[in-house]
Amino acid sequence: MLQTSNYSLVLSLQFLLLSYDLFVNSFSELLRMAPVIQLVLFIIQDIAVLFNIIIIFLMFFNTFVFQAGLVNLLFHKFKGTIILTAVYLALSISLHVWVMNLRWKNSNSFVWTDGLQTLFVFQRLAAVLYCYFYKRTAMRLGDPRFYQDSLWLRKEFMQVRR
Amino acid sequence: MRATSGPRLEEGDSRPPRTLPPVPSFTDDIPLNRPKKKKPRTKNTPAHASLEGLAQTAVRRPSEGTEPPTEELQENLDAPIQRRQKKTRLPLELETSVTQKKISSPTLLRNENGIDMQPAEEAVTQRPRRKTKRPYNRKTQPAELHYANELGVEEEDIITDEQSAPEQQSVFTAPTGISQPVGKVFVEKSRRFQAADRSELIKTTENIDVSMDMKPCWTTRDVALSVHRAFRMIGLFSHGFLAGCAVWNIVVIYVLAGDQLSNPSNFLQQYKTLAYPFQSLLYLLLALSTISAFDRIDFAKTSVAIRNFLALDPTALASFLYFTALILSLSQQMTSDRIHLYTPSSVNGSLWAAGIEEQILQPWIVVNLVVALLVGLSWLFLSYKPGMDLSEELMFSSDVEEYPDKDKGIKALS
Repeated sequence: MLQTSNYSLVLSLQFLLLSYDLFVNSFSELLRMAPVIQLVLFIIQDIAVLFNIIIIFLMFFNTFVFQAGLVNLLFHKFKGTIILTAVYLALSISLHVWVMNLRWKNSNSFVWTDGLQTLFVFQRLAAVLYCYFYKRTAMRLGDPRFYQDSLWLRKEFMQVRR
Repeated sequence: MRATSGPRLEEGDSRPPRTLPPVPSFTDDIPLNRPKKKKPRTKNTPAHASLEGLAQTAVRRPSEGTEPPTEELQENLDAPIQRRQKKTRLPLELETSVTQKKISSPTLLRNENGIDMQPAEEAVTQRPRRKTKRPYNRKTQPAELHYANELGVEEEDIITDEQSAPEQQSVFTAPTGISQPVGKVFVEKSRRFQAADRSELIKTTENIDVSMDMKPCWTTRDVALSVHRAFRMIGLFSHGFLAGCAVWNIVVIYVLAGDQLSNPSNFLQQYKTLAYPFQSLLYLLLALSTISAFDRIDFAKTSVAIRNFLALDPTALASFLYFTALILSLSQQMTSDRIHLYTPSSVNGSLWAAGIEEQILQPWIVVNLVVALLVGLSWLFLSYKPGMDLSEELMFSSDVEEYPDKDKGIKALS
């Protein structure tokens, strides 16, 4: 059974990482006095997303559903979050690489092209969706039903099998 | 006749207690019933212990007519016989005690027969005493160690009624004062019995009780629910703040740009320091507001969200408008950066060639106006139903309803 204190700690860590992600997405364009600052911000942001993925998977492993071998059920329930997080990480890394590549020589130069603008829009939209789905998943994993056998679990299992 | 002596004892539950049969009649019977492997054990048993057992059996018999007392009685009576066979000094002492018992036990039992309530009381007070006494006397015997598991500190273990102790003292030669609660108890820890302080044990059990009581007060579900509500508060704030910011921004733009954007260079000069910070702030607030609006309609459950949107639910409309505003705002990132890097066209390497300012600025202003309108409308829609939160209803509340029949369901399935 998941302890309340442990869950609170994990949830606060997840929210901290999400807040950092939102902060960098919002203000990274302002903090470009030197290219190194942006580089560090981007690296930490990508690592934060990676950490969040690791944490959510550790939470999955901790559930009774997973330990009972119903991995498929978990994936079925949270596939949106898993896929979106992976897509967001890919979009973030590609945008960061692209932007840093263009701005490395001169951080205050105008680097925008249509392609970069498109990638930027998709990355930022994915960030919002990732934030929403990740937050929802993290809070749903606080449900005690995931940590014990219940009628609900059996019903869900039957639904997935069909 | 002799073979039925055991069952007779077992039936003693319903019948009134009988007097102990004379010892010699048992001695003939014992070799038939007793397994031989128990002999070495009785050798080691001290005379006191056997005597004590004898005494206990005599007292216990009225209340307990089950087999263990019979066996124990036989076992205890067995000891003097074997000693006698070996011609040691002990049998003499035992014989005297047995004869003493022969005299004393009938009187005791007769008393029990005579007085109505006394036997029951005695049985109640003496039984727990026996439990506490055992481990101290027999803690060296491995076969008896499992009794120590029963040593949880319970009320019945502590004897407050001291009337029975002096009575027995006068009747038996068994050591007295053992029934007094001693400070130490032996607790099984990692397959070993270790002495533990009784008071500490009480403290720890009390602490466990307290933590068990506290546990249901604050579960992980409550943590998630409180975080969800906190985020809804942040969202509520950001909705209003975003609407205000967007309106303020469009007012500033129109004031600076003047009538029909007559002086774009002046506007760009004035606004360039504001453009990018505002763009960043707009994204932050839009992101928060969109997430909050999605939370309210439980966007992850697509069918519910679409149904609500088609039913022109204000909250569903608001979240759609927020998402549209977010896309529009993000699409202006390039123009905002261009404004941020504005230098007059006369300067070498300027991004703003003469004459194209109006061409670039016109759509940007229109998009900003649309964003401000969308955000303002969303705020109005949301304020129409400020308490609506489908996520909370679907994620948390509905789950509680499933709990009462959970156990029934499991039983039915199994």
